[in-house]
Parts: sequence; structure tokens; C-alpha cells
Amino acid sequence: MSRRFALPLAALALLAAAPGARAQGPQKDPPAPGPLRPFAMPPIRSFALPNGLKVMVVERHAVPIVTARLVVDAGAAREPSNQAGLAALTGALLSEGTRTLTGTQFQERLDALGAQFGTGASYDFASVSVTALKARFPEALALAMTTVTEPAFAQADFDRVRTRSVAQYLQGQSSVEGLSATAFRRAVYEAASPYARPAGGTRTTLTALTRDDVAQWHRTSYAPGSSTLLIVGDVSLAEARTAATRALGGWTAVAPAAAPAPAGTRAVPGTRVVLVDRPGSVQSGIYVGQGGVGYADPDYLPMVGLSQVLGGGFRARINMNLRERHGWTYGAFTSLAPARGTGTFAISSSVRTNVTDSAVAEAVKEYRRIAAEPVPAQELRDGLNNLVGSFPSTVQTVQGLLGRMQTVLLYGLPLDYYATYRERLAALTPADISGIAHKRLTPDAVTIVVAGDLSKIEPGIRALNLGAVEVWSPEGEKVR
Amino acid sequence: MRRSPFVPLLLLAALPAGAGAQAAPRAPDVRISYVEETLPNGLKVLYHADHSTPVAAVDVWYNVGSKHEQPGKTGFAHLFEHVMFKGSRDVADGQHYVLLESAGGRAGADINGTTFFDRTNYFEQVPSNMLDLALWLEADRMGTLLETLTTEKLDNQREVVKNERRSSVDNQPYGVWQEHMLTKVFPAGHPYFHTVIGSMDDLGAASLDDVKQFFRTYYAPNNAVLVVSGDFELPAAKQMVRNRFGWIPRGPAPPPLRDASLPARIGSSPREVIEDAAAPAPRVYVGYRVPGARGAAGPAVNLLATMLDGKTSPLFDALVRRQGIATAVSVGNFGLLDGGDLLIVNATGKAGASADSLERALLGELDRVAAAALTQPALDRAKAQARMQFVDALQRTGGFGGVADQLAEGWTYYRDPSHVNRVLPESDAVTLAQVRTLAAERLAPDNRAVLVFVPKPATPAPQVTR
Repeated sequence: MSRRFALPLAALALLAAAPGARAQGPQKDPPAPGPLRPFAMPPIRSFALPNGLKVMVVERHAVPIVTARLVVDAGAAREPSNQAGLAALTGALLSEGTRTLTGTQFQERLDALGAQFGTGASYDFASVSVTALKARFPEALALAMTTVTEPAFAQADFDRVRTRSVAQYLQGQSSVEGLSATAFRRAVYEAASPYARPAGGTRTTLTALTRDDVAQWHRTSYAPGSSTLLIVGDVSLAEARTAATRALGGWTAVAPAAAPAPAGTRAVPGTRVVLVDRPGSVQSGIYVGQGGVGYADPDYLPMVGLSQVLGGGFRARINMNLRERHGWTYGAFTSLAPARGTGTFAISSSVRTNVTDSAVAEAVKEYRRIAAEPVPAQELRDGLNNLVGSFPSTVQTVQGLLGRMQTVLLYGLPLDYYATYRERLAALTPADISGIAHKRLTPDAVTIVVAGDLSKIEPGIRALNLGAVEVWSPEGEKVR
Repeated sequence: MRRSPFVPLLLLAALPAGAGAQAAPRAPDVRISYVEETLPNGLKVLYHADHSTPVAAVDVWYNVGSKHEQPGKTGFAHLFEHVMFKGSRDVADGQHYVLLESAGGRAGADINGTTFFDRTNYFEQVPSNMLDLALWLEADRMGTLLETLTTEKLDNQREVVKNERRSSVDNQPYGVWQEHMLTKVFPAGHPYFHTVIGSMDDLGAASLDDVKQFFRTYYAPNNAVLVVSGDFELPAAKQMVRNRFGWIPRGPAPPPLRDASLPARIGSSPREVIEDAAAPAPRVYVGYRVPGARGAAGPAVNLLATMLDGKTSPLFDALVRRQGIATAVSVGNFGLLDGGDLLIVNATGKAGASADSLERALLGELDRVAAAALTQPALDRAKAQARMQFVDALQRTGGFGGVADQLAEGWTYYRDPSHVNRVLPESDAVTLAQVRTLAAERLAPDNRAVLVFVPKPATPAPQVTR
């Protein structure tokens, strides 16, 4: 018998009141909010080490934790088009040991410090991250950064990590979510854009990479001049400077200035429908969207407001439609995915196979509605209140704060961007949303991607007559 | 705690994005302060004030989970959790999220409900001036859910839950592993024999009367704990809690859980081969019956799992680094309470590789684990990781695993609100001898269940369709 049922709680006398007796019930209407308590975004301070490395620091002393991330301008968008996956593979391989420590020895030391550690690369940057309790942070940072300053890149580790990367690619491509996300990128971006490729490469491109490719990529793109160290947490500016100097003050690599990445999305004359087969699938992965905007673009903020109303939460239009009204899905959302270039904007969901065509039709309908009809003022207000009110929660952790700081860095935003973020969001009006919808959305020329069991869903989707239909292989080749 | 791979079912998937502690290496002092009270209706309330961010969290844990479900009613605790979001007397259908999102709560991360084998919880983290709203919403559904419940609401959420099952189980590679594993590690009829998500048939059969009966049995203030955490003044918060929850009548004492006691070991070596059309590579799951989280060995189980997991693990070293037969190995335990817990090891092979060789290699390494690999440095590392993970979670007021969850878990699982302050000392007190004994006794061939997933060509239909 489990312990809690042996407690005497249940032996106490019952109250006599009938369930839900109004006389003792709560008030009928929601309580009014109390007075708003002040919130100030802690400031970002920055300095540079003598070797040119930029350092950005935010102090937060609530919990004795410090997190740091070295952000290197060595993302997949910079890699040669015939070496897709090189940036990600290099990022992954950094954690596999240094000139003086094997991968196992390195990880043992990190674990002994209780440090959390990660490396990797996405489209716009590569990074090495480390989080530790305050007392262990300087040591953890110094250890973590040896992966950047003196990586081993042993052949055996390369072989293993590449095999794992291929496995991860295949695992991603085994779900409708992965298949539809990959196909959506391929369809939206220009074929030559690095953003059209999976950031981690494909089986074919990964297999062609060598250990020397990785070493060369590291040598030519990882350097103090192309990197910024972000530090957030229970640390003073002076302590941050000391820790940064200890870890990276002696780093002397030089990297040539990187070429800007092409990031254009396709100009599309009309709606295009791309289908990817996953036989036997009981659900279908759906994307409906187009090229979006970058963070630094003045249109970004109103797009955030538009995205919030259409798919930015539980009560947003697309989720209320597909999940709550119809019960076709576990959830439906929009994503406004930024990039240094154009970014994307899309509705996405996984829906039951036998309602796939109906769900696509509803998603397109919602997309057209927000593009054409003014958003009611109250609906916009509710959506914006959510973004404004939840902002402090998003920066409560040192990792959350670091994420905001990274956005400031990557997209060249002013250091006080988030100090006024809530006020600028709150000031958006329905006219702003209508304006941005007319300027940016092309509801009659969108990209629709559906991955699922085509033997069951293709006829219904074709019958919607939304635009030209193509069937692609999982690798993006047109099958028919 | 090593339970990251085995999270509770969430009402919502996470949306796309976006304490005084001293960290001296050997002298930990991570303490969460709290004030406790029990309302006359039996509701336990724990308050934790923290003014570092202007947010407040409300977290209600009901002492009911999938383990309380009877055969033929699997998945019901979780389905019920969904129904709790469909409105109550003064909260119209859909208004729960409308009000909380407008108040500044993030659906998914900050506002959610989750169901696990051992409990169900509901939480919201909002700007601190919205605390009373969050309390009012939780109280209204605790007190009046049945007044506006309809068959339509149930049917609607039944479809959502079936979709959740399709997404997370039926349409994912290896998605059925958990339900196959539980039936091997726990005997038929045991509370942990079935999964939280349940079967499609049982979900389809759940009736409105079932929902009503379930609510009357388990959803009473005397079967719950309420945690209020964050930026508030204690007298004001206590008054709000009394106003909102004080009127709700005590319910009858919930029936005790059926006997969950188990022999220490499974007593056999069950094995099953599953052909999976969605699987890109072979994968082997090995499950062991281990002591439950409530017993004295609970902290040692967590540390053992940590020692076997990650890139310094002897399993990773052998299978991934040296032999190259696997691409990934991961280890974790569920943290189950009654009768026993489940420790899971899984290894993924290379695409196209033989599942048999992978299985042989993994089992071979597991048989050797107890002898050499469990060392004092490895135990010390596991303790350091546990500390970091624990303090990291305490950064958050509410949400998944934040301060509110830690306090609520202490009361629900251990009837001890100070449990949060015992987690690290108990972890630090575990000795190498205890871990070695645990491994020797439990990582044994007659206490393991094996699932071998073999990729299968995609046609005709996948092996599991419902």
C-alpha cells in the first residue's frame, strides 16, 4: 500500500455545503487585475578584449547561475553550397575533444564541474554554450572554450559524428513534421539560397564531407574577430571580464571577413502545392506560408502582431479553428522564422489523414482572411497583451536572457532593443496590421506543403484547386 | 532527476519560439522557503514569495494519475485533464486560455495541464498583478466543472486526445515502445501496466458518466495541493486563496490505489521484436524494474541513471566510441512511486545495420556495468550534474519543473513540503556502495525486458494502426 493513503487527511469531517452552491461560490466575473508591478530589462554592457573578441554581459543575480555562449559567424548560410552540413558538422565535432583531452576526458571534466555544455551551428551562426553554478563558472568557461581554440578533430570522432548526423537527418525525415518542414524551405527559398537546404545537410552532402573539410572550415571562420562572447547571470562586469580573458584572451586566430549570404525567397506567380509521400501515415504535416521578414526590417514588429493573431497562441485563429472547432489536430500555429535575410512566415500543423484536404482548405481560408479583413481592435489587443505581459517570463532564466541578447547581436539591433520592446508592441494598431498584411502577404501566391499518405490525401488536395501541384521525393526531387 | 525522456503528457505542445542558493562545490545550501496552510476544506496551500521578476505562478496538483485508472478505462485521467479546459460555471468554453493569454501567460510554457502516471497538474504563470485571475480560474473548475459539462465537450476533447496519440505514438518511429515496455516490466492489472495516453478503444468508450464519476472521486480540494509562487505579498495572497477556494466543499476520501506491490525483479527476460515501417534504423530498448522514487533507494536510482547516460557513460564509450555499433545511447528513469520504477536504456544502431548485433552488444555491456564502470569519480560527476540541473530549474517560478512544481511534488508524492530542500542532501548522501548494490541487484538478466525495433519497408500499412 502506498504511503500517502495511510495519512489521516481523509478522516476529517465533510463540509455540508452542496457542490457549487452559489451563495458560497466565487464571483461570477473574472477578477480585475491588480496594479502592474514594474519590470525593467537589465541592460546589455559590452567591451572588447585586446585580441578583438567582443564581449556582451547582462547581470542577473536571482539564482547563482551563469551562462555563456560564444557566437561565431560560421553558420550554414556561409558554407559553400556543395558542402551543405559542413557548418553543423564542425559545430558538432567541436565537443569531441581537444589537443590535450580526448572527448571522454573533456566531458568528464565538464561533468565534474556540473556544467551544461553544447555546441552546434544553425543557418546564421555557430556556437559553443556553457552554463554552470557561479562558483564553477570561470573554470567551466575556460574548459569549454578550449574546444574552439584547440579542437582535435580526430578522424575516428569525425567518422562517428558524421554517421550520427546522417542518422539524425534520416530520423528527422521519418516524420511528417520533418518532411514537411524540409520541403517548405526548399519550396520557399531560391534554389541557390543556403536557407533552402537543411541546416544540417543531407545524407548525400554529409557523406561527401571529410575531416580536412571540417578543419579547414574551422581554421578559416572561427576567430576572435568573427565572434562574440555573451555572458549572462550572477556575475559582475569585472568578473565577466576576468573569466573571458582567462578563457579566450590568448586566442589569436584570424579569419577573413565572411561573404554575406544570399537569402532570397522565390518570387512566385501563384500558389504552389508540394506533396511528399509518407505511405501508411496516419497524420499529415501541413505548411501554408511564404517568405517573411528579417528582424532588422521595420516591418518585423507588425508582422509579430499579425502572426500572434493568426497563430501565436492557443486562442489564436488557426488553433481555434483546426483544434478547438474541428478536433483535427493536437495544435496549429504560425511561425515567423527570422533569418539574416528574408525569413519565412507560415501556418503549420499535423492533422489526421482523413481530414487533410479540409484542414488545408481551412488554413488557406484563415490566411486569406487575415490578409484581406481588418483585425478587430479587441482581438489585436488581446494578442498583444499576451506578448507584452509574457515578456518578463521569457527572460526570467539566464538562458532566456541570453537568447534575447543573441537576437540583438545577430540581427544588428540596438542594445536597448528589448528595453522598449513591450511599449512598441503595445502601440501597434489594427491599421498597422492591415498595412503590413497588404504590403507583405500574398495570399493568392503562397507555398503549400503537405507530407502524408498520398494514396489517401492526394485526390482531395487536388480537388481543392489551389494551384499547380507537384509531388516531391523526401530529398526534394520532383517526382511528378 | 533523470526523467527527461519520459515527460508527462501535456495539454499543449510547446509553442514555437521564441532562490537563494549557494554554489560552493562541497557545501551546498540551496533552500526554497515556503509558508504552508490547510484550508478547512482540506486544500493544502504552499506559498513561496520571490520578487526578482514581476510574475506569479499558480500550480494545482491533484493526487490522481493514470495509475488510478481501471482496465478498460485507460487514458482516462489524461482525457479528463483536457476536459478541465472546456469551461466551468463562470468560465465559458475556451475562455480559460482567452483570459490567461490576454493576461500575459504563454500557452504551452506557462499555461498548461499535464498528466503522468502518479499525478495530474494544472498551472499558469502570469504577470504578478494577474494572480487573482489565475486563482479564480483554478477554483472555478475545481468547484464547478460538472455544472456545464456536455457530451459535445467530451467528444471534442476525445478527438484532440486521439490526435495527440496519433502524433506522439502511432505516427512516430518507435512511438509504441512505451506501451510495449510497460506490459513487460509490470504485471497485468498493475497500476503502471498501461500508458498515460491509453488505448484508442478505451478513449473511444469513455462516457459522460465516467467523467462525472472521476471528477467526484478525485477532483476535491482535499485531494489537491495549491502552490502560489512568485511576486506577491503573503497576506494579500492568502486572502485571495480563501476567497477563491474556501467555499469549495470537501469531497469524499478518494479510494486507495489498488495494491501496487511488486517483487524486486521481473523474474524473467521478456523480449519482443517489433517491425516498424517508420523507423529509419534499428533501436533496442532495455527496461529494468528498479526501486520506486518513494523508497530509500530513489536517489540512488536517479544517480545510477545519470552515471549510465551521456557521453562519459561506459555504454556510450563502448557502443558508440569504441565499437561504433550504435549512433546514440540514452538512459533514464521514469521516477514512478508505487511498487517500482522503470529504468530504460536505449541504443540506436546505424541505418541498415543488424538489430541482432546491436542487441547483443548492448546486453553484453549492460552485464558488465556493475563490475567496473561504477566508480567514485563517476558518482561525483552525477551528483554535480544533479545539483546543476536542480538549481537550473529553480530559476523559474512556475512552468515545467519550476519552484511551484518542486513544492507541489513534495506534498503530492511525499506529503512533505520541505522535500524540495531534501533533494540535494539526499542525493549527496548516496554512496558508491549503494549504487553498486543497486546495479548488481537490478541490472540483472532476470529483471530486464527487451524491445527490438527493426525497420520495415513502408508498404503496406505500418505495424500499428488504430
